[in-house]
Amino acid sequence: MSSISELYDVSWEEMRDKLRKWREENYRNSEQIVDVGEELINEHASKLGDDIWIIYEQVMIAALDCSRDDLAWSCLQELKRQFPDSHRVKRLAGMRLEALERYEDANKLYDSILQDDPTNTAARKRKISILRAQGKSSEAIRELNEYLEQFVGDQEAWHELSELYINEHDYAKAAFCLEELMMTNPHNHLYCEQYAEVKYTQGGLENLELARKYFAQALKLNNRNMRALFGLYMSASHIAASPKVSAKVKKDNVKYAAWATSQISRAYQMAGRGKKENKCSVKAVEEMLESMQITMS
Amino acid sequence: MKMGEVELSCLAYAKMYLHASQFPRSSVNGLLLSSSPAGAAVCITDCVPLLHSHLSLAPITQLALTQVDVWCSQTQQRIVGYYQANACVSDSSPTPCALKIAEKIFEQCNNAVLLMIDGEKMFPGCRVPPIVMYERKDARWALKDKHTIMLRQWEETCSIVNQLFSSGDQTLLVDFDSHLDDITKDWTNQKLNAKIMELISPANGNV
Repeated sequence: MSSISELYDVSWEEMRDKLRKWREENYRNSEQIVDVGEELINEHASKLGDDIWIIYEQVMIAALDCSRDDLAWSCLQELKRQFPDSHRVKRLAGMRLEALERYEDANKLYDSILQDDPTNTAARKRKISILRAQGKSSEAIRELNEYLEQFVGDQEAWHELSELYINEHDYAKAAFCLEELMMTNPHNHLYCEQYAEVKYTQGGLENLELARKYFAQALKLNNRNMRALFGLYMSASHIAASPKVSAKVKKDNVKYAAWATSQISRAYQMAGRGKKENKCSVKAVEEMLESMQITMS
Repeated sequence: MKMGEVELSCLAYAKMYLHASQFPRSSVNGLLLSSSPAGAAVCITDCVPLLHSHLSLAPITQLALTQVDVWCSQTQQRIVGYYQANACVSDSSPTPCALKIAEKIFEQCNNAVLLMIDGEKMFPGCRVPPIVMYERKDARWALKDKHTIMLRQWEETCSIVNQLFSSGDQTLLVDFDSHLDDITKDWTNQKLNAKIMELISPANGNV
């Protein structure tokens, strides 16, 4: 079996830099991380200097994701040897127990961290993740709410809570979480678009109008967000078709929908160019837009 | 085929399996299609993988259903069912979202099926198909008798799925969500379909 460096013709420095990129941008491409990281550790450990410790951590977590307990265990051993009393390493040991579904043991470990250091957010979040893995959604939601009362600026936690509420069909509370995220991240088009989707799902004229506005906002922030474009089209179409709106509102929304249609058509025409295999999806969109226009007029 | 029987083709099964495998940490869903005319029995000949995030939110689901509807009328297929694999592998019961979409499909197809993928049975060497099927009976969705579910050439189907994984072709699968992230990707999966049809042995004719 050939090595990564042979297969892709990369140097160990490039492999190390790739790992850093994935770490910094929080990618969860675990199989790749394991492939690259394992080779780096086995063949080039001496060259990595102090970087090796953070690489062990990164590779260990990726290994857990891929059920590579052998690799996770050896990374953990190296880290334990180097940092014998570290809470950070203890948390990694806890994650390994979680991966083995030994949730009680994992919780004991996290509790011991919290006894030592009650402000350790990582341990608290792992305990909430365990609740989620066990399917205990209401408890996870309750714990996460308590956590956020203390750590109100934790974006990751707000987003996790919005996901939990969406799964429980509690759209009003999901919207609240997304509002928090939009306030602190006004340039993030994904939060705008997710908020719009939640509002659309809640339904009713007022929510549809809000949805349309936030789909439009998401597009302003990123004009290539297809979900926002389709969302704008669909919400404007529904508003225009509603018997409860004034003639002016109807006219405005017909205009928004028409604009969205032209943008969608353009995007698909560009996408379809030269690629024989996606002609089918392109055709489906074209026909869909045509048929929806007929029902609207 | 007899009344109430459901046949699941290799192509449909393989793509569902690949879809669930591609997103092991999320719930995934999709639509089951048939190219056979409506009758007492249901032949699931293909499937369209839909989402791997926010399954219960309306806009993208509505969009996907509409687009698949259009594509079906272009290709003489019908939507005959819905499948879902839950993120939490220990719980393969239908969620409210699954029931809602299945209900909508039932409005157009009176022997529609709801298929839940049982994550706990998805491991190499498992001898039992990891699926649980429901049908509409007495105004609710009830478990379907296992003996009415046909998976012809089961051994061959398993082998084909394994081959797709070992050749790396499982990465070819595109669901509707991925298509929206990059619209040059084909959610009708023409390329993958061709690869799977190649693997289905010629001796079987139509599967």
